[in-house]
Amino acid sequence: MSTTEPAVELHGITKRFPGVVANHDIDIEVAAGTVHAIVGENGAGKSTLMKILYGMQRPDEGTIKVDGVEVALHSPSDAIARGIGMVHQHFMLADNLSVLENVVLGAERLHGIGGKARRRIEEISHQYGLGVEPDRLVEQLGVGARQRVEILKVLYRGAKILILDEPTAVLVPQEVEELFGNLRDLKREGLTVIFISHKLDEVLSVADTITVIRRGTTVDTVRPGDVTARQLAELMVGSELPVPELRESTVTDVPVLTMDGVTVRDATGRAVVDDVSLTIHEGEILGIAGVEGNGQAELVEAIMGMLPLAAGVVRLGDTDLTGMATRRRREAGIGFIPEDRHRHGLLLESPLWENRILGHQTRPPNVKGGLIDRQGARNDTERIVRDYDVRTPNIDVTAASLSGGNQQKLIVGREMSGDPKLLIAAHPTRGVDVGAQSAIWDHLRHARAEGLAVLLISADLDELIGMSDTLRVILRGRLVGEADPATITPDQLGSLMTGAGEESAA
Amino acid sequence: MIEQEIRTPAPRTGDRERRRTRMLAVGGGIFIALILLRLITGESDITSSGTMGATLALAVPIGMAALGGMWSERSGVVNIGLEGMMTFGTWGAAFASYFSGNPWLGLLGGIVAGAVGGLLHAVATVTFGVDHIVSGVALNILAPGVTRYLSDLLFTDEKGGGATQSPPLPSFPTWSVPGVGKPLGSLEKHHWILISDLAGLVRGVLTNLSPITLLGILLVPVSYYLLWHTAFGLRLRSCGENPVAAESLGVKVYRMKYSAVVISGALAGIGGVFLAMVASSNYQEGQVNGRGYIGLAAMIFGNWRPGMVAGGAGLFGYTDALQLRGGAGAVHAMLLLIGIGLLALAVWRGYRRRVVAAAVSAVVGAGVLVWFFLTDALPREIVTYSPHITTLLVLAFAAQRLRMPAADGMRYRRGGGH
Ligand SMILES: Nc1ncnc2c1ncn2[C@@H]1O[C@H](COP(=O)(O)OP(=O)(O)OP(=O)(O)O)[C@@H](O)[C@H]1O
Ligand SMILES: [Mg+2]
Repeated sequence: MSTTEPAVELHGITKRFPGVVANHDIDIEVAAGTVHAIVGENGAGKSTLMKILYGMQRPDEGTIKVDGVEVALHSPSDAIARGIGMVHQHFMLADNLSVLENVVLGAERLHGIGGKARRRIEEISHQYGLGVEPDRLVEQLGVGARQRVEILKVLYRGAKILILDEPTAVLVPQEVEELFGNLRDLKREGLTVIFISHKLDEVLSVADTITVIRRGTTVDTVRPGDVTARQLAELMVGSELPVPELRESTVTDVPVLTMDGVTVRDATGRAVVDDVSLTIHEGEILGIAGVEGNGQAELVEAIMGMLPLAAGVVRLGDTDLTGMATRRRREAGIGFIPEDRHRHGLLLESPLWENRILGHQTRPPNVKGGLIDRQGARNDTERIVRDYDVRTPNIDVTAASLSGGNQQKLIVGREMSGDPKLLIAAHPTRGVDVGAQSAIWDHLRHARAEGLAVLLISADLDELIGMSDTLRVILRGRLVGEADPATITPDQLGSLMTGAGEESAA
Repeated sequence: MIEQEIRTPAPRTGDRERRRTRMLAVGGGIFIALILLRLITGESDITSSGTMGATLALAVPIGMAALGGMWSERSGVVNIGLEGMMTFGTWGAAFASYFSGNPWLGLLGGIVAGAVGGLLHAVATVTFGVDHIVSGVALNILAPGVTRYLSDLLFTDEKGGGATQSPPLPSFPTWSVPGVGKPLGSLEKHHWILISDLAGLVRGVLTNLSPITLLGILLVPVSYYLLWHTAFGLRLRSCGENPVAAESLGVKVYRMKYSAVVISGALAGIGGVFLAMVASSNYQEGQVNGRGYIGLAAMIFGNWRPGMVAGGAGLFGYTDALQLRGGAGAVHAMLLLIGIGLLALAVWRGYRRRVVAAAVSAVVGAGVLVWFFLTDALPREIVTYSPHITTLLVLAFAAQRLRMPAADGMRYRRGGGH
């Protein structure tokens, strides 16, 4: 590139929130035409820094230079005008608008909002292999598809500096590969990419430079060739890289969840979950592998009673759940970690302790004598914050002010409380740092040993293979195969998921 | 309904085409049902041109309020202040037309007055973050007070005016589609099946139209076009769905909300103009009489979409027209239709495995039919209130799969993003 100026320079950035210093005297230089990764534990201040660069938050101190020119960013429009685009850690999409509308919003000048824009979207989607359908409602999309829409949104605007805040947390390895291929192409075209991720292998494979942030300040900047994932993890959290694995089997023959011939249809009558039968026993973790959009979400919602069954039965122990309301199911002993924490897991504008009550509003320790027991709920929230290492100044802050990974830890902690018999865990470690990941896996292992049954869905194939006693593969709503987690490799599982090895399934 | 919300997975394509044909089918179906009802019960007012004309006249102010509510709520601001904005509209129309002698300036006056009401609501809810309901209710309380005061100040010295009403106002010219009235009128008299009914409908809708009626009808497709086919509309709707996301893409959320609420007030103002200058010949206190609220109901019934919202306004206009013109007999005849309709709904819900909802519909439907067969006429009190009762029934039964803008009624602070 002709320019030798760094694309972005952040100097002495400090940002305080009530009770926390999110960023403290941060210095980062991002060279033009490179991929610059930022890593750090949950709550280290990565997202806050990126929001500052995108004009969503104002820094208390410090200067920002874009292409060598000092700028004041008052709102995202200022940042957009300087060619900055951002994929946020949590989706910024309007559910009730179509993909097309979400993409063109704010950029109507480029290609209008009609046919021309649609063609352009299809073009980009094709070029980068995103498989985005412009006329679907965002509401109908799963987390992976939403993530691709978010990426397309930025590409559509033709931004020169791309900020990607955990864009791969819910993508399966093939999709991640594809995205990285695209990032390298973009780089070749002279674009600058700033990339945040907790998956250190990814970071090492795609980044040119890596900056480590700890407790709100930059601690080191390294080149991927000079460090290993293990050293990086130590720089970040001062702990070792965890491995997802189960030691001895705890599987019993007591069935907890039994599904028999379960079918769910969409409004057009198509079966999105097709004749699914499975059993999860006490002490068993059953992993469902599948490319997103093959019915996992609907399967989960059918178990939770959020979708009606067209056929079949769901039983928890001896209780027939069919026709039971979601709250009753939860009371019967089902915990639920939803795939999209903002949509289903939290009340963002409510304090943490109220979020502790959510979904457990009829059970102790939240209730005493039919009334909400504030003190009980608060005490138990303190316990979750302690046990699950939720980094927060106190339990009266709103859920929105927690960092993404800490929100996730809070949800996991809540859903594991009250000794559930069955846990439905969709992407349980989405967006949590390596330290917290191993803590969550420990909790799962522990609960499993006590007899918890778990239905696990994850885009992280290592986690899926390492943490499952049994693996089933879902394709177009049907369970098409079973795999042995002890012997299968992520590559083999990946090809099973796409249906390539359908007949070779053991 | 006390029933847990269970959503059906949505179809792969949100097909506009299909929605349009379905709307036409529903409209046609209702019309045929009305014809059958006329044949069975012999109440000719059910499809007469008089009823149809009155329907239109009664539907316009409700429809304007409903459309106004839709604009506002699409941007995420709940507008319960429509009633007050309409009141401003009636007074503004009277003031401007009386003192200028020109009805068109009256229209302008009504629009401006309504828009000022909208502006007040926008300042309170958007800039100061006041709860939308609180601000709306405050506006509804404020409006009659302000108009009373202003009338006292400006109208009491005029001939025919007073603190509670304005002097007679200049009126708009009316207009008929040429060559329609006479031939259709004679067709209608024959009471031929379908032909006479259709003649009644067309004649009622095409003759003696005021320009405000035309304007009102025109504003339905115009609203649709602006909201769904322009960049402005997309930005506006995005603020009602997810303002944080909109802001993250550079949309000026406050500005969009202001525009929407002011437009909302202007539309309500047009409804006020109609009440003061077309439906009557002067401004009177209390003229709006709850139409702002009924408009909100029509908006909800219409699922926040212009075509359906207009349909909802038409429904309320029709029941009102029927009770005014056909009286107890015609409204009584409607029971038959409602009863059968509810039973059909019960069958449909049974088919969709929604047992509780099906049972409720079946029981109420059967009850209504029994009522129909055991009585010859309805008590007068019920007849007068049939539009309100319709409002209740419709909201309770039809409102099962409504989708309001996701961020409707929520307070939004700039830079409050997560
Ligand atoms: N709007 C806010 N109000 C108050 N505190 C906030 C707000 N946003 C962030 N914080 C705090 O600032 C700190 C940094 O948060 P940030 O979201 O930047 O972390 P992060 O590095 O992105 O973490 P994660 O990996 O979990 O996403 C956290 O302690 C968080 O609680
Ligand atoms: Mg973050």
